[in-house]
Amino acid sequence: MPLLELPELAEWRERPVVTSGFRSLDRLLPRGGVARGSLVEWLADDEVSGATALAAAVAVGMATAAGETVGGTILVVDRGGRFYPPAVMPWLAAAGVGGRRPQCIVARPARDDDEVWAIDQALRCPGITAVLAWPRQAHPTAMRRWQLAARSSQAVGLLVRPGRARREPSWAMHRIAVAPVADGALGSRRLRLTLVDGPWSVGGLAGHERSVEVAIDLVRGREATVAEHPLIRGPHCFRQAPPQVHRPAHVPMHSQEGGRACRAS
Amino acid sequence: MPRVMTIWLPRWPVQRRLLEHPEWRSLPVFVCRREGRGAMRVVSWLWAQAMQQSRHRAGGQAVIEAPVQILEGTSLAEAMAMLSLAHGSRACHAALVEHDDPLADRLALEKLARWCRRFAPLVALENPSRPGGHPECLMVDITNTAGFFGGEESLARTAAWTLTARGIHARVAIADAPGAAWAAAHFTHRVAGCKTLSEGKPVNPVATGRDAWRRRPRRWAVVPTATMQPLAHLPAAALRLDDRTLAALDEVGVESIGDVLRLPRKSLASRFGPLLARRLAEFSGSRAEPLEPPTDAELPHAAHDFEVPVSLRDGGEALLMPLLERLVGQCVAEVAAHGKGITALQVRLDPGRAGDATRQSTAPVVIDIGVFRPSGSARHLVDLVRLRLARLRLPREIEGLAVEVIAVAAADCRQRVLFSGVAGEAAADSLLQVAMLLDRLAGRLGRGAVFEPQPVADAQPEHAWVAVPAGVRQPAAATAAARRRGDRSAADRSAADRIGGRGLAPARLAAAGRRPVWMLPRPVALETVSVMPVAGGRLSPGDGGPPLRFRWNCETHQVARAHGPERIETAWWRGPCVRRDYYVVETETGGRYWLFRRLRDGAWFLHGMFA
Repeated sequence: MPLLELPELAEWRERPVVTSGFRSLDRLLPRGGVARGSLVEWLADDEVSGATALAAAVAVGMATAAGETVGGTILVVDRGGRFYPPAVMPWLAAAGVGGRRPQCIVARPARDDDEVWAIDQALRCPGITAVLAWPRQAHPTAMRRWQLAARSSQAVGLLVRPGRARREPSWAMHRIAVAPVADGALGSRRLRLTLVDGPWSVGGLAGHERSVEVAIDLVRGREATVAEHPLIRGPHCFRQAPPQVHRPAHVPMHSQEGGRACRAS
Repeated sequence: MPRVMTIWLPRWPVQRRLLEHPEWRSLPVFVCRREGRGAMRVVSWLWAQAMQQSRHRAGGQAVIEAPVQILEGTSLAEAMAMLSLAHGSRACHAALVEHDDPLADRLALEKLARWCRRFAPLVALENPSRPGGHPECLMVDITNTAGFFGGEESLARTAAWTLTARGIHARVAIADAPGAAWAAAHFTHRVAGCKTLSEGKPVNPVATGRDAWRRRPRRWAVVPTATMQPLAHLPAAALRLDDRTLAALDEVGVESIGDVLRLPRKSLASRFGPLLARRLAEFSGSRAEPLEPPTDAELPHAAHDFEVPVSLRDGGEALLMPLLERLVGQCVAEVAAHGKGITALQVRLDPGRAGDATRQSTAPVVIDIGVFRPSGSARHLVDLVRLRLARLRLPREIEGLAVEVIAVAAADCRQRVLFSGVAGEAAADSLLQVAMLLDRLAGRLGRGAVFEPQPVADAQPEHAWVAVPAGVRQPAAATAAARRRGDRSAADRSAADRIGGRGLAPARLAAAGRRPVWMLPRPVALETVSVMPVAGGRLSPGDGGPPLRFRWNCETHQVARAHGPERIETAWWRGPCVRRDYYVVETETGGRYWLFRRLRDGAWFLHGMFA
């Protein structure tokens, strides 16, 4: 059940809105984008749903837009130590073409209370555009602190949480359930986004889509179109192909035949 | 018998800049000063990469001088002409010209002198031999301290190596007097026949002929006590003489220190001026040359001792914080008066000794605070200390509180604007806020827990990135100024990966969509894996196709599609050779996993998830 009261909802409507970088996602959101100073919850039933990739892509897009004037910094609160930056670095590099590249900073708290504190501190900082986190514990008190911190600084909190959190109370402005769509394309990822109960239901905003499908270009971290990138193909089965080999530069290359590579000496 | 160690930092103005900008090592760097009528004179110059290449081409022979001899005082135009003759016009176009900054050079040298206190407590800067010269040597009084390092030879070697590890090229020499040590440091390759008191065997630094493969540039020398014979053959310039005196000596055929020593002492001053006699006396040790360490006036400290021990458990913390704010404020005010900010601060709580039986409880509690940017805000520093205090086990009572500034740096200057809402002002404010946030995060989580990931050109996924201390980027104006100077920041280096300013390099592009957002710290072995059979039905480790089914997290996943293999073979020098075939597999429910097969035994592992 949404916790935001009507006065806060009215204040939320006055805040500036930024595009998420995904037109499909913007159509899903009530105001056509993500309101600054708010929390967005991404609810994923498993760990391979693609919610993190989508949240990271949205963060990069928002930081790119913010970097032209102020800030442009993303802070990742990685409590579990599993965030792999090389997956996101090409997105940052691509976003920086023609302007300033967004900055990505990672914080790895060792304890749950440190994680809660770090998210709160990051959301309070006016120089931070987006905070990406996977909070293990999101007690309503802690989430209320985060919501107030984000409102004070106009930062956006992108919280990826398990699907069972749907039944828990939340202070997030938007709650989006993410489910993967099997398509087989290597360079892209299709996801189905469903809007969960949010504060707009209190105001009775009707006429918005409840579920959309979005495609992420995993190469550049933005919305994908089929014809844009040669790596994006339709679903296909595996074919035995010569392996792509990565070796250090000074190791002499061995010849390859069919799908096998010679054993290293 | 006093013993002095001299650490000579050749071309220090250039070395200081190379420490700040390591990417300049591949370019010729000139440090020049502007004289009358706009003439530019070379103060120092260096081309580090060219020197290394020439050293390799010489077959390991010690190359003491740069490939191109450009002396101090040469006009910049002439120096560029000489560089062009030796290395072509492209070297001139790529050369960097920096203005001389003696103050910054001295401050950096003083900072290094404080670092060298690990060798001995008394470290001083040399007095330049010429008026207007730049100090390039550190004098360390190692009397009765060499034993802690295993002898003077070991001490000199340790000093040279530790400085080299920091990226500083240095020559080290030990002698009885500062003058003698200075001469030995500047001519370490010519200090022959040196003997150490402990080892007793001669050291011949210059090997010839068949021993050429053992030749290494000698960077340290130890002159035995009570003898100047090993230095007798050094040129007279090693006595720190001016050009006029050297010219006068050259006229009469005096070339070496030994020749000078054989001259009658009584007539030296009248024939060659008072400088020669003074330098000779300093060289032999008959004239004292006191060492004056740099003053620490810019590193203030403040302390407060209680008349009676104060308990921290009876509301004493409420007394502690205001006192801490006052002491930190005093230090900040002193530092700010010099236009600087604090980068490192130490707070010490002295516990009470009365009634404490255990030694552990009487140990002082020391809190070291570091900030990413020089801070002039006492409130910010006190907040960082408060965060650390919350994590520590404080003593029951304390007798005193001390605050000491460990390091300072020039504070960022910002010109205030009359009208608010200016974009540049907002950008600078946001950067400052981010810096303060990083300080708070590092203060509570630890400096190693807050970092900025940087890509590394390594095929092995675990080593494809590195965590660097989170630094706050400069505002756009400063970045543009740095770009005009030819400064290449990490952000600009990434531009090298772009093709025509539009796309990514092919290698990065190919790997971009294949890397999961989540990677396990260690690959986890999968329980059961069924693989696609290859043609012929044979299946052996190293063969086979992608997995058809695997079991993970107590669930069996059916693979619908797989992409790969992406074979990664890493270098053997890092340990056991890594040979893996990676697959991006997509299950029937749309989830994606990153698996690999270890080619050594065919075992399957889960390495990442496309979360």
